Amino acid sequence: MSRECSQLLPRVCAALADPRQPGSDDTCLEKLLDWLRDLTELEPTLNVVQDNPCLTEFFTSVLALPEPSPSILSFTLRLAGLLAASEDCFQHLQQENLLFRLFGTGGTLNRAVWEDASVRSGWVEGVHSMMHHQPALHFLCNGGGLDVIFTLQGDPSLFVASAASQLLVHMLTLSVESEPTTPVGEKDCDWPACAQMIIKHIEDSLQSGSASHINQSLKLLTSLFGSCRATWTEVLWLRIAKQVESFLTEDSVQTRHMLADLLLNMSRSPVFCDTEGSFWALVTSALEHLTPVQAGPLAVGILSLHKCPQDVRIQAMTVLLQPMDCILRAASQPLEYAGLLDESVSDPSTVESLLSSKSSCASLLCQTLAHLEKLLSLIHLPVDLPYTALLRSFVTILQFCSGLLIPATSLGNKISQILIGCSRVQKSALDALAALSERKGCDTVIGSLFDILLVYLESPNTSPTVLKKSFQAMSKWLARLPEMSCFNNQWQTEKILQDVFLVLQKRLCSPCWEVRDSSLEFLTSLIKSMRDQDEFRESLLSSEVPKLTENLLEDPESYVRASAVTAVGHLTFITSSLPETPVAGNQYNKEDTTAKLQDILSTDPESFPRRAVISIFTKWLKQGCTDQVEDTAQFVSRAIRTVERDLDWEVRIGGLELVEVFCVQTLCRAGLPKYPSAAASSSVTSSIQQNESLQIFCRAKLFKFLFWSLCDYDKPVGQKACDILLVLRASLSPSGLLKDCQGAGDSSAGCGIPWLQRTLRQGSLAQDFPTDGGNGVDFEDPESMMLALGTIDLEELHDELNKSSDHIEKSPQSLLEDILATVGTIDENEADCY
Amino acid sequence: LICLSVGPGAGQDVGRSCILVSIAGKNVMLDCGMHMGYNDDRRFPDFSYITQNGRLTDFLDCVIISHFHLDHCGALPYFSEMVGYDGPIYMTHPTKAICPILLEDYRKITVDKKGETNFFTSQMIKDCMKKVVAVHLHQTVQVDEELEIKAYYAGHVLGAAMFQIKVGCESVVYTGDYNMTPDRHLGAAWIDKCRPDLLITESTYATTIRDSKRCRERDFLKKVHETVERGGKVLIPVFALGRAQELCILLETFWERMNLKAPIYFSTGLTEKANHYYKLFITWTNQKIRKTFVQRNMFEFKHIKAFDRAFADNPGPMVVFATPGMLHAGQSLQIFRKWAGNEKNMVIMPGYCVQGTVGHKILSGQRKLEMEGRQILEVKMQVEYMSFSAHADAKGIMQLIRQAEPRNVLLVHGEAKKMEFLKQKIEQEFHVSCYMPANGETTTIFTNPSIPVDISLGLLKRETAIGLLPDVKKPKLMHGTLIMKDNSFRLVSSEQALKELGLAEHQLRFTCRVHIQDPRKEHETVLRVYNHLKGVLKDYSVQHLPDGSITVESILIQATAHSEDQGTKVLLVSWTYQDEELGSYLTSLLKKGLPQSTS
Repeated sequence: MSRECSQLLPRVCAALADPRQPGSDDTCLEKLLDWLRDLTELEPTLNVVQDNPCLTEFFTSVLALPEPSPSILSFTLRLAGLLAASEDCFQHLQQENLLFRLFGTGGTLNRAVWEDASVRSGWVEGVHSMMHHQPALHFLCNGGGLDVIFTLQGDPSLFVASAASQLLVHMLTLSVESEPTTPVGEKDCDWPACAQMIIKHIEDSLQSGSASHINQSLKLLTSLFGSCRATWTEVLWLRIAKQVESFLTEDSVQTRHMLADLLLNMSRSPVFCDTEGSFWALVTSALEHLTPVQAGPLAVGILSLHKCPQDVRIQAMTVLLQPMDCILRAASQPLEYAGLLDESVSDPSTVESLLSSKSSCASLLCQTLAHLEKLLSLIHLPVDLPYTALLRSFVTILQFCSGLLIPATSLGNKISQILIGCSRVQKSALDALAALSERKGCDTVIGSLFDILLVYLESPNTSPTVLKKSFQAMSKWLARLPEMSCFNNQWQTEKILQDVFLVLQKRLCSPCWEVRDSSLEFLTSLIKSMRDQDEFRESLLSSEVPKLTENLLEDPESYVRASAVTAVGHLTFITSSLPETPVAGNQYNKEDTTAKLQDILSTDPESFPRRAVISIFTKWLKQGCTDQVEDTAQFVSRAIRTVERDLDWEVRIGGLELVEVFCVQTLCRAGLPKYPSAAASSSVTSSIQQNESLQIFCRAKLFKFLFWSLCDYDKPVGQKACDILLVLRASLSPSGLLKDCQGAGDSSAGCGIPWLQRTLRQGSLAQDFPTDGGNGVDFEDPESMMLALGTIDLEELHDELNKSSDHIEKSPQSLLEDILATVGTIDENEADCY
Repeated sequence: LICLSVGPGAGQDVGRSCILVSIAGKNVMLDCGMHMGYNDDRRFPDFSYITQNGRLTDFLDCVIISHFHLDHCGALPYFSEMVGYDGPIYMTHPTKAICPILLEDYRKITVDKKGETNFFTSQMIKDCMKKVVAVHLHQTVQVDEELEIKAYYAGHVLGAAMFQIKVGCESVVYTGDYNMTPDRHLGAAWIDKCRPDLLITESTYATTIRDSKRCRERDFLKKVHETVERGGKVLIPVFALGRAQELCILLETFWERMNLKAPIYFSTGLTEKANHYYKLFITWTNQKIRKTFVQRNMFEFKHIKAFDRAFADNPGPMVVFATPGMLHAGQSLQIFRKWAGNEKNMVIMPGYCVQGTVGHKILSGQRKLEMEGRQILEVKMQVEYMSFSAHADAKGIMQLIRQAEPRNVLLVHGEAKKMEFLKQKIEQEFHVSCYMPANGETTTIFTNPSIPVDISLGLLKRETAIGLLPDVKKPKLMHGTLIMKDNSFRLVSSEQALKELGLAEHQLRFTCRVHIQDPRKEHETVLRVYNHLKGVLKDYSVQHLPDGSITVESILIQATAHSEDQGTKVLLVSWTYQDEELGSYLTSLLKKGLPQSTS
């Protein structure tokens, strides 16, 4: 602890314990606790407590208050627990008789403030913090504290109840793992005393017949098996397995959900997943007995496991595939697709009845689709799913939702009535469909897939959110076109692309900005993934899409303008590689596009479009797309002249990124290393190349922008500029060159450099960079700039800038001062959040 | 039944509004706010408390945002793009337009200052806003077949709304923040007598009767004027949109009236955008602004110009509105550094500042501030705090309750002690239950919904045939079978129900054995029983059948000798459930035994 802080702390403690002072803002107390927690991690806690007797005095004075405020008492409990986490400090506080008065049954618990949830929460948190050693465990168990925690499991405050449950898990683990008893067995006497009490409580609750007690215990077990992977957990499980198993046939929905969670956590634990037989039999039985909605999460979890018996996996798969299977059969699909599941292993009646009911159909489908999407998005999926049949089922669901399917079966009719226009199901199905595009081997039904996606893209009934997902799915599947065996027919591909662009043309003119924006994003993603394909380029350029996209550069909505900039920028990648035919040349004038974007960069009143322009410029530069446009240096120079005074610092950062790419490219072209190591060459040739590069940078007026940026209002800009300058210095001025420049302060070349140095040293952020160019510094003079790079301590500046600008806000001293300063001010200010 | 959980978030602190309402099986999340006082996880609500099992998208039917302040919408992009909620989000049109500006503003400050990466991005804000469905005032929006919502004007800030949430005949009104007195640019909140089962109201000023806003405005103008007159500069740190516009109108009008010449500046291009929205949503402003709109648009300022960073060094007086509002980064902080040393200057803080910010420090009276690089900044300029927040005070809250006539009231967004006082007042005056749960506590309220049931024509005809004409004033008891299907209820005759549901009819009979001490032959016992019953049940048809059994209406009685004891006869009594009453009576009668004289 710093000297300043240790001087402030006694006054802060006194202020906090003073009931006449207005209560401190909750965040102050939280942050004070954060700081003290950090402190106890750095220094021995006992030293902190002994060096700052004000802490124990604080406890004493709060305890002496007849009516302490709940927030202060809660803070006191949490702090005391935090300090008591170290055993010697625990003993120290015990000797002072503080812990008993704070945490004992005769202390805080008997006060009226115990009614306040924040006090109970503070008590639980305090106890949790101190539970790191045997004495704390005994203190609590022998003092009747366990019963308090048992009660708090059912607290009206969710936060307290949940914390109490976590605390019991922690205590059980600590008790079993820290006490030197023989390996635990099934008998009570084998377990440490505290563990015995907790286990007895769990067993009693499970047998109590009370739903809330059962749920509390199941929750506790779930988090225990989730966090503790020791072998003793299996012994514990054997004691309660029978009872837990009986809940499978229980009516309570909540209990059944909990059971699924419990089994899932257990299946992930090596303790259980290696066991043969009984545990997995229970899981299988759960998958059979729970409703599809309850069993869903368990099934997904099981299927993501890499180690799991095959029959359990099949059962889990059945849970997820059955609704899809029913959908296919309801739609009376040809037999070859309906074979998702073998009817002999599964009884579809439950799922069928759920699907035919209005209240459960959509939610079952949404949930199942979400589970499948989750599985399909896994990189290493341990099971093989029937991709083709799944694709068929997703497509069928989308057909149901759009009213396209007129099924012959009565179940199909019911489902169709329920699903028409149901956007929840549409969204889930489209998400699942997009995830499925990552999987190979489902090419056969691709025709109907594109058909239905086009229907969604075209339909005026498609809501903007559904449309966005349709675009996403379409873009992912289109990207897969070239590799699809069934689609090597060029004509078919062209047909689909033409249809897509026709729809896109319409959507780009939508009155709804969300739709226009999603359309532009779709176009950009298509160009990104398909720009190398001839059919794609031809279909795109022969459509109205490029023209309409360009029109949207003037959209009234700034989000749309920004997306249009990005799309137009990407379009340029295609048009710039076109042979200069008269037609194409007229339609896609690159200079024209650049001028338009440059215009947006300098005049658009909102920052999204400007940010998009500068980021497109950088992309162009990276991909070598600007070479043909104009002289790159000139291009960069013009861009930075536009952005250097931009009001949005993210645009200015964008400008610096452009400069960075330009510098790196120039240096590479000159054969100069970007980050020269000790082995950097100092030959004459390299010096000539350095000079050339330097001159290019000076001509492009980079240095003024970079030095100016060091003094930016917004810190990230300064940091970025400093990073670039460091790279430049490393590449341009190996030590030899720098030496030549030393002492050149008096020459005309060094004019103003000392001033620049001084200005920057004075704390770059605090200063305004003079607008007149700065005391005669010639930022376009290579020699001056070399000197500047050599003499200004960029490293120091770099450290300064990298110091978080809110280090004052975060500093404990500032916090303590703030708490003290608030003492005595009127409370009125606090209530005014807006 | 309405079950309600307030939270998530610990403690009863201001900020981070997020309320979950379960009403007739529908779950709605009201507001999704963030706490600006924290830089870590604690700034967002802990959404894991919303549902223990299942995805949020499946659990929640919709999210409603009351207005654009960050303590009500700041966690929305986090919730929808990072936590993964993918369902519908509702807010008013102005809120949808302005919300992203404030979110973007806050994101930039956060990333700027702390270089934080675990924060939502611009793209996420946009993606989130694309999911939002905008609603009009008083428009009933059907979220799904059962759940409907409706927005009412709340004052407070542009686009702020109170929402009524209705499922069947149960309803809840959530006020968000509101004020009941019109201010310089907005009108007063209003709701119709919708008599909700529950009114959830903010109670920021639960015990305060606020002095008139006019006084505070006069005070503000006086201070600005005095400073400018003596050649000083006035800095007003604000957030992009909201209070800033109100103060601009105030200064603009004052400058015009007093013919003042000192320049007023507004930083970083925010005015244009903000004013654009005020013009666009002119119908949401108050009457005066709307009336004068034709001659003069109140949001087109003559005296207020865009600020350039070079202006800060200009000599002479000026007034500058600069962002951000807590003096913790960017332009407002830079100007503050420049001007702090001069006692002629003044900074006016029009809103709340979180701990750690320069705004908080100077408001709590600190005058020597340590800046970067251990530099000490001495604050000589005057520091003023002016509260312009537009919340309902105690009077306003009572007024709203009077307007809406709720059956229950729930107080949120306030301090426990003050809420307790208000709760008592509400219960006393309106005789309704008032709740004030701490964050994380669930309140369950039982309602007595009247459920409409359709009656089948056949059943109705049958009842009227017996002479029971339906009459609104005289409720009648009617028997039938209730069919609940697809969330609708129908009362039909049991025959029709059987037919519709394709079920076969089963006869249910109750049987009971009664032991009677009688040594005579069985048929003689039967005769005794018959005579006894005939004597007692004069109004009923009692018959002695040839097979030796007795019937009383539909009730059947047979006698057999006890297998072990010939002196005891067992009477088997059996009846249908329709004759349950008579059956029970008969059994009890027989259990008393037969009178001796009836031999």
